[in-house]
Amino acid sequence: MRPGRLIAKAILALAGFLAVFPLVWTALNALKNNVDIITRVPRLVFTPTLANISYIIGRDSVMTGLYNSVVACGLAVLIGVVLGLPAAYAVARYPNRFAGDIQFFVLSLRFLPPVAVAIPLMVIWLQIGLYDTLPALIVTYSLLTISVIMWLAIPAFQSVPKEIEEAAFVDGYGAYSVFWRIALPVAARSLAGAIAFSFVLVWNEFLIALMLSSSNAKTLPIVASELSQQGMNVPWGILNASVVLLSLPPLLFLGVLSGFLNTVFRQKKT
Amino acid sequence: MKSTRLAASLGAAFVLTASASTMALAQAPVCSAPVKVLAQPRDGLTLLEDSKDEFKKLSGAGFQIDYLNENDRRAKSRADASTVGNYNVYYVDEANVALFASSGWIAPLADYYPAEYDFADFDPGRQKVATYDGKVWFAPLTGGGDLMVYRKDILEAAGIQPPKTLDELLADVPKLTNADKGMYGIALRGARGSGANVWRWMPYFKAYGGKWFDGDKPAFNSDAAVKATETYLKLFKDSAPGTQTGSWDESTGAFLSGQVAILVESTPLSGMAVDPKTSQVVGKVGFLPPPAPLPGGGYGHGLAIATKANPDDASKKCAGLFVAWATSKENEKRRLDAHQFGELNRTSILSSKEFANIYGADLGQALAETGKVTAVNFWQDPRWPDLGDRWGIILEELVTGTRTDIKGSLNELEAYANELVKKK
Amino acid sequence: MRRRSFLPVTFLVPTLAILLVLSMVPTLYAIVIALQNRELSTPGYSWVWFSNFADLFLDRRFLNAVWVSVKWEIVTVVATMVVAIGLGVLMFEVASPRLRNIYCLLFIIPVLLPRVSAAFVWKFAYHPLYGIATYPYRLVTGGLIVDPLSKASTALFAVASVDVWQWGLFFAVIVLKLLETLPPQPIEAARLDHARRWQIHAYVTLPMLKAPLISLMFVKMIESLRSFDLIYVMTRGGPGVATETLDMYAFSQGFIESGKVSYASAMAVLMMIATVITFTMLWKRVQA
Repeated sequence: MRPGRLIAKAILALAGFLAVFPLVWTALNALKNNVDIITRVPRLVFTPTLANISYIIGRDSVMTGLYNSVVACGLAVLIGVVLGLPAAYAVARYPNRFAGDIQFFVLSLRFLPPVAVAIPLMVIWLQIGLYDTLPALIVTYSLLTISVIMWLAIPAFQSVPKEIEEAAFVDGYGAYSVFWRIALPVAARSLAGAIAFSFVLVWNEFLIALMLSSSNAKTLPIVASELSQQGMNVPWGILNASVVLLSLPPLLFLGVLSGFLNTVFRQKKT
Repeated sequence: MKSTRLAASLGAAFVLTASASTMALAQAPVCSAPVKVLAQPRDGLTLLEDSKDEFKKLSGAGFQIDYLNENDRRAKSRADASTVGNYNVYYVDEANVALFASSGWIAPLADYYPAEYDFADFDPGRQKVATYDGKVWFAPLTGGGDLMVYRKDILEAAGIQPPKTLDELLADVPKLTNADKGMYGIALRGARGSGANVWRWMPYFKAYGGKWFDGDKPAFNSDAAVKATETYLKLFKDSAPGTQTGSWDESTGAFLSGQVAILVESTPLSGMAVDPKTSQVVGKVGFLPPPAPLPGGGYGHGLAIATKANPDDASKKCAGLFVAWATSKENEKRRLDAHQFGELNRTSILSSKEFANIYGADLGQALAETGKVTAVNFWQDPRWPDLGDRWGIILEELVTGTRTDIKGSLNELEAYANELVKKK
Repeated sequence: MRRRSFLPVTFLVPTLAILLVLSMVPTLYAIVIALQNRELSTPGYSWVWFSNFADLFLDRRFLNAVWVSVKWEIVTVVATMVVAIGLGVLMFEVASPRLRNIYCLLFIIPVLLPRVSAAFVWKFAYHPLYGIATYPYRLVTGGLIVDPLSKASTALFAVASVDVWQWGLFFAVIVLKLLETLPPQPIEAARLDHARRWQIHAYVTLPMLKAPLISLMFVKMIESLRSFDLIYVMTRGGPGVATETLDMYAFSQGFIESGKVSYASAMAVLMMIATVITFTMLWKRVQA
């Protein structure tokens, strides 16, 4: 048994290493001069430079991309919250004949191939004259955020103990104030997880943004991919720095999301 | 107090003595919004960004350049121009100038190019490439033909004379490969694209007498095309690693880092090869025209004024000023000072003493020689990018070995070309 | 207990109406475009009905793309599930609660990354000369070159490995959490019968988790449809057309190569029909 356990531990350690090392390496490369990157033998010891990072931050296109990403994702998530949470609550607490169908409809939006959405939308936005604008992107992303937030918030509302809500009704609360004052605060932790998840999803979104923007509405993933596709003569350090910048925001949600996972599975246990 | 008054009176004096044109400039800036440029990465353009303030002073607005690699730049500029047209200036090249000009996506340059920037100073070859249908469409940023660049030391050690003909080249290349020591006979381009693998393949096609069309009919599945493709694939056996899916960057990179014996590539390579900043093989390099009967691939890239993003005359003037300034004598001088060989296009710069000091007489001689065999190899037509890119993908399949049937591949291309021809 | 309220109406109807509009308009319009012959660069168009679809079935690259997509789907789903179950069980067996928490945190990181970032990180790692992932090979063989992304036989697997890196590790965390929710009695009983560790999992715990594991696989199948970002950044469908999936090919036709929006849309419509039918059937199965 002993060697088996050792091997198992070694495999786990290796997997843990593989999970983060590529990222750490990218972050290190972001601090390197090009000569320290283009080496046959990878260099761990080098003189760090902030040139790549300051170049990235100083570039207009990166800053515009960052702004576009923040605005498009922020507003799409906001719309998702405003429209998705109440709808999820209604499905969770007011069972009706269609509850199953509604849930399936919301999930089925995820089956739609992104190209199948992006191509017609591109033609539509072009015809209305909104192609390559943030509003077009926000509306398109709202489809994603509403459905994802709804899908994840239904179980979150279902897990709020019914007794609390019933007690509130007895105390004379109306249906809306029960939602506002009881259900929302009690489910807040799981809901935060759902919202964070939808944010990460649209922040990371690439194909739709690529097809719906040309220059004015380019989001950060598009700008980063453009930087990374320039060819071999391009300073690798700058590319690595742009990847780091792009990856930071989703990682900020690491804590929230792993907490979300924990609550989801704790519920299953009970 | 004193100094401000001094400054004020100096300023007044300046305004008084300023010429009419600069006064007009000072009163109404040419540009009201930053010029948006879609380009591919060029050292010359990167250098230009250091002088942003100069352009701001000149025009009243800044500029922003978005860079994409060559294939993406072509696809993106085409998509942008055919839809919303949000870029003021496009980077165009010999292969897509016909498409852009005939579609009305770019404006004739001469109408908006300020005379004082002296367009006639550009090398005549460059001017020719920038001309389509009798009008000039872009101001050159780079251009040239092909040159054979070889390692004198490696060839000498192997007892081989620099090949003068294609047959000699084909015989020499396998002998020069020594993969164990990281030395390869040649480096080609394998990556898809009318400006990538197809570009390198075309000279062989032409050398074997290939023609794109027989009258009105596409003639790609000719013996010449088969032979050219066979030759290209055979040479690829001795091509440096990474070039099978690489292009200019990969093959020149391999040469400059000392892994390649002979390379037939676009002329800017020669300047890079003798410059210690970019090359590890300085002093070991010789130049000759491409082995006969390979013609050189004449090419030219430059900046053009977009029509959609510049609907009125004023904005076209602004874009024109940017194009003129970006390719001006002053800026080319800066590129020469920064040893950016591939970014030089003006006769006044190419024939200057500084140029001869940096690059030597040998290179000048070779450049003049190769100019004689430089030719247009591609099909000069708006539909060329379509056709070239289609062939690029098939050729990439052949190079990477996922496909082996050369004749069948060419038949497929011909079928595609027939469709293209039918459409018009 | 609850009084009759209009809440379900006010809460549900606007949202569902918006979702319906946002999803049906593009979907129906995709079908409309697919029946025309629109191109990006020419403003006019006419109705060609089903000729785009007929052309597709004669298009070598389309048929290749279907095959590549199927391969991609199978490779990534199977590999993800194997990695997830393997690592999940290992964590359950040998890691202390504290270590489990650390591993869980580490294993979630890759999936949070934008696909574009993940793709770039690995693209550079696979670089034949300077890549960190190809370095061990160079070290062992004394400098030989390996270029997994430009070999037709390995490119798909190299890209798929990034997908598994993101999802396999993430699902391992979920498998662990699922294992933790199991009641301990059956495991104890099996242990008393002197069953080996792997036997316990193969015959007791995993069968108990059959339903959630199938759901998990279902989710992965849906997410695997989103291969575009990785392939776009890492190979562009190359070498040749070895990694050209349907969405990549549709994108090339619609944008990169010729701007044939209608042709691309016909492809998208076929994809849509295929995925909606397949997943609806699977979903009904999973639910039953």
